[in-house]
Amino acid sequence: MIDTIATALRRLNKMIALVLGAVLLVTAGFIIVDITMRQFARSLGGSDEISGYVMAGVASWGLSYALTELAHVRIDLIRHKLRAGGKALMDLFAITVLAATVSIIAFQAWPVLEKSITRSSRANTPLETPLWIPQAVWFSGWVWFAVSACVLVALTCALLLRRDFSKVEALVGPGSEVETEQ
Amino acid sequence: MIWSVAVALLGLLSLSIPVGIVLFLLGFGIDQFFSAFPLMRGLGQVVWSASNHATLIAIPFFVLLGEILVRGGVAEKTYASLDKWFSWLPGGLIHANIGTATMFSATSGSSVATAATVATVAMPQAERLGYDPRLFSGAIAAGGTLGILIPPSINLIVYGFLTQTSIPRLFLAGLLPGLMMALAFIVITAILCKIRPSLGGESRSFGWGERFASLLQLIPIIILFTVVIGTIYAGWATPTESAAVGVAIALAIAAAHGGVSMRMMRDSLLGTIGITAMIMLVITGAYFLNFTLASAGLGRELQAMLTGLDLPPIGTLLVVILLYIVLGFFIETLSLMVATIPIVVPVVIGLGYDPVWFGILMIVLVEMALITPPVGLNLYVVQGARKSGTLSEVMVGTIPYVLVMLAMVALLVLVPDVALFLPNSL
Repeated sequence: MIDTIATALRRLNKMIALVLGAVLLVTAGFIIVDITMRQFARSLGGSDEISGYVMAGVASWGLSYALTELAHVRIDLIRHKLRAGGKALMDLFAITVLAATVSIIAFQAWPVLEKSITRSSRANTPLETPLWIPQAVWFSGWVWFAVSACVLVALTCALLLRRDFSKVEALVGPGSEVETEQ
Repeated sequence: MIWSVAVALLGLLSLSIPVGIVLFLLGFGIDQFFSAFPLMRGLGQVVWSASNHATLIAIPFFVLLGEILVRGGVAEKTYASLDKWFSWLPGGLIHANIGTATMFSATSGSSVATAATVATVAMPQAERLGYDPRLFSGAIAAGGTLGILIPPSINLIVYGFLTQTSIPRLFLAGLLPGLMMALAFIVITAILCKIRPSLGGESRSFGWGERFASLLQLIPIIILFTVVIGTIYAGWATPTESAAVGVAIALAIAAAHGGVSMRMMRDSLLGTIGITAMIMLVITGAYFLNFTLASAGLGRELQAMLTGLDLPPIGTLLVVILLYIVLGFFIETLSLMVATIPIVVPVVIGLGYDPVWFGILMIVLVEMALITPPVGLNLYVVQGARKSGTLSEVMVGTIPYVLVMLAMVALLVLVPDVALFLPNSL
C-alpha cells in the first residue's frame, strides 16, 4: 500500500517533469524563431513575457518532482552522525516542516490569483495576457507541491510505525546516497 | 537583527531542513519579530515575481545545455582531451577537472551548472584511479565557480542590470581574472600534490601526436562559446536568447557525436527540471527573505554601520570585502548580490572606485560564497554527483582554492588593471 502510493507519486511527478521539459524545449525553439525573424525586421513578439510565464510554471510545478527525487538541498552535518532511527526522525521532522511551510506559501499564493481573477487584470505588455492564466498554472503548481509533501509526511509516519528506516531514507532522506539517475 | 538572523539560519540549517524552506522560515520569523507591519500578505506576490522573470529562464537553458553536452558524450571527450594535455602534472586528473570546469564555464553561464557538469563526468574516474576524494571534489566545486566570472555569466548580467554598467565591458573585465584564477588553481594543485603525492593519483604522460589529435574534440565547445558570446556582442540576442541558441547548438554537437536519443533527451530534461526546481526553491526563499530583511530595515542597519565607521576609502572597501566574506558563508550567491548591490555599490562608487572593477571584485567574493559552508551551492552539487562520502570532505577539499580566491581579491584591490586592462584597451 505504502509502496504503491510512493511509486505512483514518483511516477506522476516524473510525467509532470517531462511535460515541463518539453515546454522548455518549445520555448527555446520559439525564442530562436523570434531571433531569426528579428534579423529580417519582424518579430513574433512577447518571447520575453512568455519566457517569464514558462519560468514561473517550471519553478512551481518542478518543485514536487525535485521533492520526490530528493533533489532539494539539505545539510546533513548532524544528521549523518545519527543512527538509523535518529536519521529517520530527522527526515520526518524535515518533511513535516517543509509540508507546513509549503502549505502556507500555497495558501498565501491564492490571493494573488484571486485578485487577478476578480479584477480581470491583464499584463502591462503588448500581448495583454490575462494574468489569471499563467498565475493559475503557477498557483496550482504550489498546491501540488504542498499536496505531495503532505502525502509524503503521511507515508513517512506509516513507515516509522513499522520501524522501516531504510524505506524512510529512500522516501524522504537527504538523497546524497541515492542514485539520481535510473 | 543581523546576528539573530545568522544564528537562526545556522540552527535551522543544522536540523537538515531543506535550505530553501529555511530561508522562508527566517522570513516568517523576521515578519513576527522585527517588522512593524505584516509582511505575510506580500508572500504570494513575492513568490510570483521571484519566478516570473524571463532572465531566469537562462538557468534551465544553461543547465539543459550542460546536460545535453554531458549525456551526449561531449563533456567526456573534452575531459579526456584535457586529461592528455594536463595529466603529466603532479595531481593528474585534478587539472582536467579545473580545465573542463573552465571550458564549461565559458559555455554555461552558471557556476552550479558548471560544477554539476564536471562532477558528473569526473567523479567516476576519481575512484577508479585512486585520487584523494577531498581535493578531487574540492577542485570541481572550486573550478565550477569560474562559471560566473568567465563570460557568459548570469551574475554579471544581474550586476550590470542593477548598477547600469555595460554588460559587454563587464564580460571583458571578467575574462582575464577568470583565466588567471584557473591557472592559479592548477598551480596550487600541482604544488600540493608535489608536497603530498598521496593527494593525487598516478601522473601519466601522453605523446604530442595524441595531444594534438585530441584538440579536435575541443573545437565544438569553442564554437559553442563563440556563438553564445558572439550573439550577445553582436547585439543579436539577449543573454537569455543566446542561451536558447546555445541549447540548439549543443543538441547539434551531441547529434554529430551520435549522442542524441530519446532516452538521452528524456534524462537531460528530467535532470534539468530537477536541478532548476532545486535552485528555484532556494532563489525564491532567498527572494522572500530579502524582501523581509529589506522591509525590516537591514539596509539601513548596514548603511549606518558603513558610514558610521568614518574610514578612508580603502578602509571602507576592506570592510565591504569582509562583509561579503562573512555574509557569503550564509547567503546564496545570487541573493547575496541582489540584496547587497543597492546598498553597497553606491557607497563604493561614491568613494571613487570603478563600477566595472567592483563588479568583478564582487563576483570573486560571491564565488567564494559558492564554496564556503554552510550555504555553498557548489558543495551540494558536487556532493550530489558523488555516490559516496560526506559533504565535509568536499568542504575540506575546497580550502586551498578559497585561499587562491582570497589572493585574487587582494590582487584586484592592489592592481585594478587586472580587470580593467581588457575593457579599457578595446
